[in-house]
Amino acid sequence: MIAAQLNHLAGIVLEAESVPNDGIGSTSLSPYFAPMKEVVIGGLATLIVFVALYKFAWPAISKAMKDRTAGIQNDLDSSAAARTEAERDAAEIRTSLGDVDGERTRLFAEADSQAEALLADGRDRLAQEIEELEAKAEIDIAAAAGRGADELRADISRFSSQAIESSVNASLDDATQQELIESFIARVGAGLQTGASS
Amino acid sequence: MSDAQIHGYARALFEIARADGTLDEVEDELFRFARSYEHSEELRNTLSDEQIPAEKRQAIIEDLLGGRATPTTTQLVSMVVGSGKARDLPAIVDVLVHRASNAKQLDVAEVRTAVPLSGDQEARLKAALENATGKTLNLKTIVDPSVVGGVIATVGDDVIDDSVRTRIDQLKSRL
Repeated sequence: MIAAQLNHLAGIVLEAESVPNDGIGSTSLSPYFAPMKEVVIGGLATLIVFVALYKFAWPAISKAMKDRTAGIQNDLDSSAAARTEAERDAAEIRTSLGDVDGERTRLFAEADSQAEALLADGRDRLAQEIEELEAKAEIDIAAAAGRGADELRADISRFSSQAIESSVNASLDDATQQELIESFIARVGAGLQTGASS
Repeated sequence: MSDAQIHGYARALFEIARADGTLDEVEDELFRFARSYEHSEELRNTLSDEQIPAEKRQAIIEDLLGGRATPTTTQLVSMVVGSGKARDLPAIVDVLVHRASNAKQLDVAEVRTAVPLSGDQEARLKAALENATGKTLNLKTIVDPSVVGGVIATVGDDVIDDSVRTRIDQLKSRL
């Protein structure tokens, strides 16, 4: 089947080659294929065009492609770097967030510690003040008791003195006065020192 | 008043009394008046008040001593008060008494009692003090109610104190 089709095509081509040249141009008899000469010439021209393109245009195209590839690679690298940086920033932010939490925890702990220290200090001062007040109160009480005792002793002494003086004055009648004088004369006459002397 | 002035007044009073022949009485009367003057604040204030005219103060002296003391004593005290030296009268009299005692080669014995001594008691007390001190004494007695009872005798720097006042004070200090 295929061979029959190929023979048919070859017949068409050969038939086209058999069309005579009329001096104006080649005319193919085949509606599908050009004449062989035209094919050959056209092929050579195409080859020349491709060679010229390969020689003159390909380097520029290749360079443009490489540049584009490099540009794309750069873009990719930049994107990767940006992503890395973004990830680093994200990590730093996460770290910072962690630090903030830690700092907050530390500040709370420090505040708790200071508050505890203040409370302890306040309790100590309060206890000390209470002790001082108690000591002062005890001293005041002792002093008051001492003053009371002193005043009591002074009162007793004063009342006793008044009682003694009153009693002595009441008992010193004329006979007693004379007796005292005679006693003094007798003792001084006997050479005895009586009472206070200097 | 300085000591020299006090001794000057005392010497003048002494010479006047001695010239008048009443030294013993004047000395004794001046001594008693000086002690009364010391113990009476009203008398001291009155006789030493410069606002009261001297004549009036001297008239007070005449009222106090007139008829109770010798005229010489009254005149001497009046003279001292009139010259504005009443404040120094006790010191002047003390010097006078010592001068008089020295003139008689006697030492002054000042005896304070709450009640007056009888003549017999004075004589026996004088003898007893002379026996105790070995000195011949010119006894000066003072009735001082603050003594309360007993006797305080001073001979020079020696004090023999057997007064009730001192015993009460000692008891008070022990209390």
